[in-house]
Amino acid sequence: MKRLSLIFLVVFSMLLSACALNSSGDNESKDSGEKASTSAVKDAKGKSYKATDVSALPDKAKARKDTFIAGISAPGGVFLPYFYENGWDGNATTPIFAPLVDLDKDGKPVPILAESWETSKDQLTYTFHIRKNAKFSDGSPVTANDVAFTLKLLHDPAYNGYQDISLAAIKGGKEYKEGKAKTIEGIKAKDPQTIEITTDKVNAKALLILGGQVLSEKYYGKDYKYGKLDYLKDLYSKPLGAGPYVFSKYVPGQEIRYTANDKYYAGKPKTKNLIYKIIDKATSLQQFETGELDYAGFPADDDTVEQLKSLKFANIKVEPVNDYGLIYVNNTRPQFKDKEVRQALLYGLDRQKIVDVRFKGFGQVADIPVSPVSWAYNNQGVTEYKFDPKKAKKLLDKAGWKTGKSGIREKNGVQLKINYLTSDAEDAVIPIAKENYQDIGVKFEPDITDFNALVSKLTKKNYDFAAVSTSQILDPSDTVEELATKNPNNYMGYSNAKIDKLIQEGLGTLDITKRKEVYHELYKEFTQDPPYILIHYRQSARAISGQIEGLVPDNYTGIGSSLPNISIKK
Amino acid sequence: MKQYVLQRFIQMIIILFGTSFIIFFLFALLPGDYIDSNLSLTPQRAHELKALYGLDQPILQRYFTWLGNVFHGNLGFSLKHQESVVSLLNKYVWNSFIVALLALFFTWTIALLTGVFSAIKQYSLFDGLVTFFVFAAMSFPSFFISLLFIKWFGVDLKILPIGGMIDTGSETTGFAYILEVGKHMILPVAILTLLSVGSLTRYFRTGMLEVIRQDYIRTARAKGLKERTVIFKHTLKNAILPAITLLAFELPGLFSGAIIMEQIFNWPGVGRIQIESVSFRDYPVLMAFTLFLSSLTIIGNFLADVTYAAVDPRIRLK
Repeated sequence: MKRLSLIFLVVFSMLLSACALNSSGDNESKDSGEKASTSAVKDAKGKSYKATDVSALPDKAKARKDTFIAGISAPGGVFLPYFYENGWDGNATTPIFAPLVDLDKDGKPVPILAESWETSKDQLTYTFHIRKNAKFSDGSPVTANDVAFTLKLLHDPAYNGYQDISLAAIKGGKEYKEGKAKTIEGIKAKDPQTIEITTDKVNAKALLILGGQVLSEKYYGKDYKYGKLDYLKDLYSKPLGAGPYVFSKYVPGQEIRYTANDKYYAGKPKTKNLIYKIIDKATSLQQFETGELDYAGFPADDDTVEQLKSLKFANIKVEPVNDYGLIYVNNTRPQFKDKEVRQALLYGLDRQKIVDVRFKGFGQVADIPVSPVSWAYNNQGVTEYKFDPKKAKKLLDKAGWKTGKSGIREKNGVQLKINYLTSDAEDAVIPIAKENYQDIGVKFEPDITDFNALVSKLTKKNYDFAAVSTSQILDPSDTVEELATKNPNNYMGYSNAKIDKLIQEGLGTLDITKRKEVYHELYKEFTQDPPYILIHYRQSARAISGQIEGLVPDNYTGIGSSLPNISIKK
Repeated sequence: MKQYVLQRFIQMIIILFGTSFIIFFLFALLPGDYIDSNLSLTPQRAHELKALYGLDQPILQRYFTWLGNVFHGNLGFSLKHQESVVSLLNKYVWNSFIVALLALFFTWTIALLTGVFSAIKQYSLFDGLVTFFVFAAMSFPSFFISLLFIKWFGVDLKILPIGGMIDTGSETTGFAYILEVGKHMILPVAILTLLSVGSLTRYFRTGMLEVIRQDYIRTARAKGLKERTVIFKHTLKNAILPAITLLAFELPGLFSGAIIMEQIFNWPGVGRIQIESVSFRDYPVLMAFTLFLSSLTIIGNFLADVTYAAVDPRIRLK
């Protein structure tokens, strides 16, 4: 999981195979009173099938008594959090490095290496209390200095990884980065087990950034000099952390091996060996079938699910994935500036059909910019854009787009044309949108390019429509921040004062109940004035070998949080 | 001869330079770079990273920096793998190489034998069967046939591993390790051979048939030479000449031809690295690998010309 890719992945088949370790949870996640009435949430619970005959397990799997094997897609061998560039390396480092705070299956923070934490009244200062028995795998204790060192490393001007520490706005961080200060003012180690971090700005997402994976100062900080991080490259392949497992061997392109860490604070994991085996999605099913894998994720479709069921030894879970697919609309183009036009384009597109074609019953039409598994999902009272060409025509007429001689709507001599960027040559949107939009007098022209070219056009706002999907949503703010007028990543050129205000409010408090209300309000406004066209929520299938117990993949950490509890039934 | 070789050598160096130039500029002109493909970066962070990676410099300057490094044996640093390109390629290239080399060996042996025999026995049952299988093998998509073989030999019969290079968690060393890797190589090598043996068989068969019809063969036969001498000494030797060029061209193909196969069989080869670096615009890897392939092509060409000139004096007389 962890920053699966920091990007919007579109085509990359990675996206589908990502489910290997990444996950969607079993969902009783809808806590609180909001009785989610819609089918969306009902579907979000997914389906699960129990293994009917565990004795059908292939001998290879039966012979394994103390090794658990999970599939992974393509790690690259940089086993150091904050420094890898490949999302799969993130999966590979999860067993080795434990964070202070992680997310539970509902996306809410839970303490790991930190026993607890407090935030000050003004929500600016975080105090983490580290567990007394938290130790790195070399036996040395995890201390406040290690946390301070980790944060300092991220502020180093030579740091070139994915973590943008400036988002946490630690007091004095900027000065340290610019070389104006020798230390970071806002980080104070009170005693070996207590660290106090002061920030300049309230940010609901800061807790996870500050409470990330902890690097040992003794091990990684030995040769640290300000502005020079090259020495760390030698340590990429020799990780040392405080996680449930200890790295033992990486066979490039083949597998990563781990052994249980007997110094782990919560006790030595039940299964002695862990292997992440590198698989290809074309043959992962066969790998599972022959007992090479104990756990793997698959794109959900009837064939795969049926085949998994027919194996009899697999526990199968078909559940929604924590992301969604959408079509960006360039709001800066005069024809899409008008909110009625955007609404019309939503009404005029048969999204149900697109979802059915693409996911064959294992997906649903997206209605708000968050996935149904998130704690923030609440679609009550939002405008659902059911396919309605009549309404679409009416709205376009109202907005002044009249049908011209060629059958295409025109306004001030400009035709209503949509150039649709996609990087998927078999994009199901193309034939359906072409037909749907023709019916309401809009011309739709697909433009198939590669992903990087698409991104390049997107960032220059040189497009009409562009197909993308989000990466895994860890916090509901992740997906809506880009809608803010001043957000540099607002590639839609969307601007709505009310949304701007709500985004700030959503980030400006650490209280989840309050945030829920704010996001619900935001979603309602979002559907009133849609910045883009939401398309789908999708599902994935996960198969767990029948002899494995204690493995509960969730939507935020994948199998990460289950690792210490996995056991093999004998 | 010496002069010819020298001439071709100098030509080769110039072409190599030209190629490196073109490669660099083509990649630099592609829209988007490694940083750009990360949409979630703030512009400020993106700018910082570009400066750290030197991506903000003008193309020409980047080219000369890169070229200078290449002369020092430094092919750059992979952005995605956070590792030097040389060590990265070194990790994977040999795996690709052994599979391709074995496949090449089998392809040529089988193609040579079946090609020659079906030419000798033209229109016989053997020839008919060979022709049939050649076409059948050529027309299968590699993807399909790989999955089919995996299903047959891996899933149903359980006699061969489905993929990878070693058994999961295996700790074998020495001879046992070689055996294990060998077992994993059977399917990929078999499929690669199957896919490429067809065209080569046809090539040899046609070559043989053409030479058999020549007057000097008829003369040889008329002189009363043994059929074996006629075929293997006179016909084959002449028919195989053009294959020298072909063999030299196989050099780059050794590394680039098996991408799909490597993917399906999880073979830790260089093909997957290449695909990845295209989609992530990992320029240093892309350029190093493309340069490597084009160098092989150019060197292969050079070798072909030289050997051809050695065996056929008419060429260097020009």
